[in-house]
Amino acid sequence: MNKLISLIKTDLNITFGLSSIIYGLKAKKQRWQIVVFGIAMLSLLPTYIVIVNVLFDFYDVFKEIGQESYFLLMGFLASQLIIFFFGLMYVMSKYYFSNDLNQLLPLPIKPSHILTSKFISLMVSEYFTSLPIFLPFVIIYGIKESAKILYWIYAIVAFITLPILPLVLASIIIMILMKYTNIKGKRDFVRTITAVLLLVAIVYVQLLIQKISQQAILEGEDFYYNIARDANLLARNLGLVFPPSIWGTFALTNFDELSGLTNLIMFVGIGLAGFILMSFLSEKLFFDGLIGNIEVTASKGKGKKKDLDELYIENKAYISIAKKELKMLFKTPIYLLNTVGGVVLVPIILVMSLSIGDPSMEPFNEIIYSNTDIVTLVLIGVVAFFGIMNSVGSTTFSREGKNLWIQRTLPIKAKDQIYGRVLASVVIQLTGIITLLVSMFFIIKLNFFSLALIIVIGLLSGIVLTQFGMIIDILRPMLNWSSPQVAIKQNLNVLIGMGVALLYGGGIFLLVRFMFNSIDIWIIYLLVSAILTISMVILFNVLKTLIDKQFRELE
Amino acid sequence: MLSLRGITKSYNKGQIKAVDNVNLEIKSGEIFGFLGPNGAGKTTTIKMIVGLLKPDEGEIVLDGVNVWDNSLMAKSMISYVPDNPEIYDRLNGIEYLNFIADMYGISKEERKEKIEYYTSLFNIKDSLGDIISSYSHGMKQKLVLTSALLNEMNLFILDEPMVGLDPKSSFNLKEIMRKMCDEGKTVFFSTHVLEVAEKLCDRIAIINNGKIIAHGRIDQLRDDAKEKQSLEKIFLELTDNE
Ligand SMILES: Nc1ncnc2c1ncn2[C@@H]1O[C@H](COP(=O)(O)OP(=O)(O)OP(=O)(O)O)[C@@H](O)[C@H]1O
Ligand SMILES: [Mg+2]
Repeated sequence: MNKLISLIKTDLNITFGLSSIIYGLKAKKQRWQIVVFGIAMLSLLPTYIVIVNVLFDFYDVFKEIGQESYFLLMGFLASQLIIFFFGLMYVMSKYYFSNDLNQLLPLPIKPSHILTSKFISLMVSEYFTSLPIFLPFVIIYGIKESAKILYWIYAIVAFITLPILPLVLASIIIMILMKYTNIKGKRDFVRTITAVLLLVAIVYVQLLIQKISQQAILEGEDFYYNIARDANLLARNLGLVFPPSIWGTFALTNFDELSGLTNLIMFVGIGLAGFILMSFLSEKLFFDGLIGNIEVTASKGKGKKKDLDELYIENKAYISIAKKELKMLFKTPIYLLNTVGGVVLVPIILVMSLSIGDPSMEPFNEIIYSNTDIVTLVLIGVVAFFGIMNSVGSTTFSREGKNLWIQRTLPIKAKDQIYGRVLASVVIQLTGIITLLVSMFFIIKLNFFSLALIIVIGLLSGIVLTQFGMIIDILRPMLNWSSPQVAIKQNLNVLIGMGVALLYGGGIFLLVRFMFNSIDIWIIYLLVSAILTISMVILFNVLKTLIDKQFRELE
Repeated sequence: MLSLRGITKSYNKGQIKAVDNVNLEIKSGEIFGFLGPNGAGKTTTIKMIVGLLKPDEGEIVLDGVNVWDNSLMAKSMISYVPDNPEIYDRLNGIEYLNFIADMYGISKEERKEKIEYYTSLFNIKDSLGDIISSYSHGMKQKLVLTSALLNEMNLFILDEPMVGLDPKSSFNLKEIMRKMCDEGKTVFFSTHVLEVAEKLCDRIAIINNGKIIAHGRIDQLRDDAKEKQSLEKIFLELTDNE
């Protein structure tokens, strides 16, 4: 038990760097970073406030039809699903690719103990993810229903147990995946592909369940009668996507009855049971997936001898930089998941929801079938978003890590650095565009002009956003890492980049919205392109100066 | 010719003076050894020459080019081998070498000839198709050496190059350094191995606590010492901090 506690402590310390934060507060430079972080967070705040306001309205809508329990259910469902999906990625990198494993494995520690310590620090980080989602639902419901103290106590218990089950499920799925994909040779590739396919499959199944349960409710003429008779109709049916969320919901809605307590016990109980099952499984599964992770295949000259002549390929400097970036991205699973994974998954999930008919996608549907200009604009926005979401720009220098000396001692022009790194981001963005357009093809036929506009303006905005990301990353590159996941998962530059992109993109969005009904659409396209081009040129020059300066002055 | 003029560097906002007013002139066609105990400031000095650490004061000039004012030009004239071969370990050997060659703008024929020559010499040619993370420490070091030798440099600068190399490779490296300097290039390296310095170097400098405490030809240093003694004795006497 002592071992376990010290493992947990150490892992929490590594993950959240308590000692390094305390040290950081003393150093001036770090304090400046905290300010930057604060500003980045603040830039997300307006959006958040808008969302919370919409939630208030949502509550009223459901209250009117007497289905307010469904409102709480949405809170549980949203937080648990998000924890689950992020959990899959976190679990993979934390259990299987973190750098402390090399030190832990030789020690006489049970696999379940290693796993538990990692699980707990994942839980802690999931609290930060789920709090902003869960809190508004519980508070709005609590206030509107003027709930008593017991409600708030139940809410706290529910919040604490909330991440357990989704994370347990994610852990078990990943352990099984890792065990059966531990194939020599193409291990990394097989794993990444399987993970992406798995995600798509899970989303698909969930959408399907949702669809079926919706139809079940709507069928027959008794809908209004049923809804009036049974106040929990929506919650009970639509919660089927993840049944424990129903228990959590009922624990809170019925807090003043015995059924509230029993639901709470079931909600907590299934979490604990899952956790015990996971610990048990980990003894059998964990090491099997892990062992061999560090090993790589080397031919030692024995295998096929390729004709080296073909291997001497001469490229322009910026092409060579782009190729190197892409090779590193594709050969490092954690990079691949976070860059290509994102831009490929988002369009697939978006289109799946549109075609299956998720009610939250209703507004999209309306737009799609009404106005091609709006579709084109929305898709341009999605494509632009790929440019920052792929994180290629905002981690480009951080990913160099301890290898940055190589490029700092080579005669490389800043211009080539920018071209090469932007090009890599554009290629990743293109994989997203192709996925998007191919999957859109199934639900809507876009004409040639729309396609051209989406690709051209989308790429242009992608370049601008990538440049924003690069500026942030060259100003505060994260170079001192020993495991690549740190460079991309624990890198604030990604978040700051999104914040900046949101502000910039939001500005353009407001502008377009303002002009939309009064000015010819072609002038809007032209104007947006002009703004983007000017931004691109300005950012290019800023970036050039900054790269020159930072490549000289970094220590 | 490489000149260091009054270069000074402190870490942690002046708390640690790692290099303190160092002046050195190294001629072309000369092999120069840079000696000193651990933490003396060798690596720091070398990093300032190759553009990784900006000196607080002083200037560095290589064949008339100010290394920090005209850094792009200077970098194309310098080949650097660090003490620790941290390189892109997800690439394979040949991809890494091609990348470096592209940055120096080396033609296909020239890179082919050099890569084949040096990788055969260092016995890593058969591993060029393998991912670098499968290389041993010494193999990585040889790959970095090969990449540094692709460029027609004016200054070949190495930080403790012999550490981790097997005897044959270390012999080969010494031969290469000789050849470079016969071609009129400047070779500058730091080392702890006094015999290497004694046999290989035209001149040496000894640095201690960031200051140059002796420099010149080895026989000169011997003459200056009270009795004729070995370089080891001289080194120990000079760097004795009491
Ligand atoms: N990044 C750094 N931050 C703070 N101090 C440093 C840093 N790098 C080196 N130092 C300090 O600068 C001084 C000189 O270090 P340097 O690495 O140049 O020594 P060295 O002569 O190369 O030693 P060795 O023979 O061990 O390689 C030492 O006192 C060291 O502690
Ligand atoms: Mg050193």
